[in-house]
Amino acid sequence: MRRLVLLAAAALLAGCHRAPTRTNEVVSTASREISTDASSSIWDAAPEHLANLLPQDLVDPRILKPTTAEVRVRSVHNGGEIAFRLEWIDRTNDDMPGPARFLDGCAVQIPRGIEPNPPDPRMGQGGRPVEIAFWRADWQAAVNGRKDTIQAIYPNAAVDHYPFQAKSLEGTDAQKQMETRYAPARAVGNHRAGPRDSPVEDLVAEGPGTLSPAGARQSRGKGARTNDGWAVVIARKLPEGLGPNKRTQIAFAVWEGSSKETGARKMRTGWIPLAVRAAR
Amino acid sequence: MARVYNWQLGREMSYWYPESRPKRQFAAVFDTNKCIACQTCTLACKTTWTSGKGQEYMLWNNVETKPYGSYPLAYDVKLLDMLDSGSWSGNKYEGRTIFESAPAGERVMGWRPEQQDYAYPNCGEDDCAGQVDGGAGMMSLPHMSWFFYLARICNHCTYPACLASCPRGSIYKRPEDGIVLVDQGRCRGYQECVRGCPYKKVFFNPMTNTSEKCIACYPKIEQGIQPQCFVNCIGKIRMAGWISKPEDAKPDNPIDSLVHIKKIALPLFPQYGLEPNVYYIPPIHVPLSFSRQLFGPGAAAAVQAYRNAKNDADLAALLCLFGSSEKLMPRWKRIGDDVYGLDEKGATLVRVPRNEPVFIRPAYDKLYQITRTNCP
Repeated sequence: MRRLVLLAAAALLAGCHRAPTRTNEVVSTASREISTDASSSIWDAAPEHLANLLPQDLVDPRILKPTTAEVRVRSVHNGGEIAFRLEWIDRTNDDMPGPARFLDGCAVQIPRGIEPNPPDPRMGQGGRPVEIAFWRADWQAAVNGRKDTIQAIYPNAAVDHYPFQAKSLEGTDAQKQMETRYAPARAVGNHRAGPRDSPVEDLVAEGPGTLSPAGARQSRGKGARTNDGWAVVIARKLPEGLGPNKRTQIAFAVWEGSSKETGARKMRTGWIPLAVRAAR
Repeated sequence: MARVYNWQLGREMSYWYPESRPKRQFAAVFDTNKCIACQTCTLACKTTWTSGKGQEYMLWNNVETKPYGSYPLAYDVKLLDMLDSGSWSGNKYEGRTIFESAPAGERVMGWRPEQQDYAYPNCGEDDCAGQVDGGAGMMSLPHMSWFFYLARICNHCTYPACLASCPRGSIYKRPEDGIVLVDQGRCRGYQECVRGCPYKKVFFNPMTNTSEKCIACYPKIEQGIQPQCFVNCIGKIRMAGWISKPEDAKPDNPIDSLVHIKKIALPLFPQYGLEPNVYYIPPIHVPLSFSRQLFGPGAAAAVQAYRNAKNDADLAALLCLFGSSEKLMPRWKRIGDDVYGLDEKGATLVRVPRNEPVFIRPAYDKLYQITRTNCP
């Protein structure tokens, strides 16, 4: 009998754990603090928007079968920065790059200009850019401490010798220069090519195929595995003209690495209204 | 999709972009009959371009034994299996190319090798087709049991599938020489090009998250020098140069002569529709059905012409130019028994005798009263 009472009490307490308030739009509530920790208490009071994801089947190359069904979004802001917590179900942790290996990731897209009619949700349009903050699982692993070596990806890889490891070059600038020369994308300053010091990349686009690095870094973030998927926080500077009691549009995308999703092969939303609330 | 003309198919075909040929097109001829698979070309390329982190598995140049060798594993048979391979009517291809076979949502019909597919670069090495239990049957042509070596680099195609596949336009074909390059600043590593290239000559670098490929040693080409894998070839099987469209073929252009005039050098898997610009002199000892699948309908005539080279002074002379100079030889001429490699203005870069003088040294040296053995 005593056990039964305890069980009933536990069930009651569990029931008391407040289900999140669901909203039809993304509502960003004011918070004194912004944290990129997905388990921080700042997210507890924020309402949640359940964004249904659609296959990107408009522009080639596309995916024709849906994978990740939905992403749960919460948002907070502090007047200077706005943060989004994205959570989705993904049973596999895809954070190892390689041939035919693809990475889990997510992105937040906001029009650069705050206007009543947003640009094309398919990554903006000519003269009407969108700003995109893109998080990827392998960059998170790098920031979390994964080494910048082939053995970090393939533990049993055996390498006889890299030319820049010649004894005569040890510890010299010439060695660093030579190592960079043998990593062409790094040598030409491709931000994507690593080594990464942030799991989030800032991008701008004016339509499909036009994605380019943003001029300056304005986003930060952090992702962590949950019991059934990912929880990723992306925080960025409040877009110009957006503030308390203002509205704009927002879109999300999720890549499922084990479904070979990359680039245009992704699950995405259309525009969703984003309302920024003032502090009470 | 645009309509473009592919002379290797003898017809128009669909391609993602309109036809836009470069001012001149880098091209090469490889003589499969002379290759011994020493892999010197492979190493010359490897040590020059792909010694960095993330490039360990890359072979921009490789030499595989046919019929069983392939790198990455089964790159050829997998696509041939997928392709609705139609027949040739004379020199016209009546099947569908990989562009015309693209399924919904794709720009080309392709596939992505798995990581393990790159783990066996010497798979099938020196394995011959058929059993040799009853003797290899080497006394007649084609051989009953056979294999040959196929050296491969990027084909710097006129209609590259890698370029068509890239949704970002990160791959471009240089207007000055037709060399196909991946812009390492723009590439975002989607691997669409790896999927699209039927020859699997684009490789993903997991350390830089970009795709990389053979660059035809363009810094050397710009100085009028042939690429590393050409000048290091000890079998002298390769010649680099420039190819014209068939209707513009120039008899004093060695590549035009071999491809368009003598017709002994053929593209690899022309049926894919890329108009590849590395041309192969097919092996003379291999069953014709196999050569036709690899090199198209011209295989029989090419083998015949090659076997008749001893009676064709010009062809024999041209074949002597292979590996005779590290310089690109855009022009050539023959005077008597000598063949000349020329520069654009007609100045001599190299002179090669068609028949090397032969000296026979007697086994017994009377002067020193000693019998010479076959050693230096």
